[in-house]
Amino acid sequence: MPENQKIDIREVAAGYEFPPVSYQIDSARVADYLGAVDEDNVLYRDTGLVPPMAVAALALAALSEGMTMPPGAIHVSQEVEFLAMVSTADTVTSRATVARSQNRGKFHMVTVALSVVNQGEKEVMAAKTSFILPGDVGDNEPA
Amino acid sequence: MTALREGTDLPGLQKEIKQAKINLYAEASRDFNPIHIDEAFARKTPLGGTIAHGMLILAYISQMMTAAFGKNWLTGGKINVRFKAPARPGDVITVSGRITRVEPEEDYTLCRCEVLCENQDGETVISGDAKVKVKHDGSSS
Repeated sequence: MPENQKIDIREVAAGYEFPPVSYQIDSARVADYLGAVDEDNVLYRDTGLVPPMAVAALALAALSEGMTMPPGAIHVSQEVEFLAMVSTADTVTSRATVARSQNRGKFHMVTVALSVVNQGEKEVMAAKTSFILPGDVGDNEPA
Repeated sequence: MTALREGTDLPGLQKEIKQAKINLYAEASRDFNPIHIDEAFARKTPLGGTIAHGMLILAYISQMMTAAFGKNWLTGGKINVRFKAPARPGDVITVSGRITRVEPEEDYTLCRCEVLCENQDGETVISGDAKVKVKHDGSSS
């Protein structure tokens, strides 16, 4: 999505739903991920299994495709629940909803709920991610 | 798999944070926020330099949980953490955890754990709790 079509996360109210994003996590990306986090568990060796935190990280990446955050945004907390295994053969769809958006003057608190389902609509991961963002909309250029 | 007893330590690990790894993680996770990968940009921010992605450090906790609980973590794990301090290139992060409660259920045993990441100065980088449903059939070890 072009930058100028993304929305500032501070402009949306609780209940706002981002457009769903579907993608496959192929074996090359899994290999890159395993290398980046130095994970060598045999569970992932030639099994086609995707590390659950890779699913979470890519759900956040999918979220970022639809929004902008101002410089100075801080990722303050993260909740993740793994509900089913994901394989490189799966096509997953990530849905994101603003669960909380509160302007507190000099900063803004946002929590986004994420749900990832596989091609059979089985939920494989649920998450909540919270950010503290600087001030009012318009005070900052988009990141 | 880790013994399911209250007070049991999880198999901790240590990771040295390197800029090269942060860059690899940025590629793998598609998170190219300049605070993680652009040293010139990051130097001008209040953080004074690049920091690792919080999700990278969280991945280390997940790695520990996978080592402790196998596939049970992938199918019935839940974690809730707060990012307390940034991890910077050069930091050595110690990841640890402990089983705090074991609750037998009909089809599984629920293990509640505390989890922690500290840097080389003993500063908390991430703290939180996790729980995992350990199935009784042994199919997920």
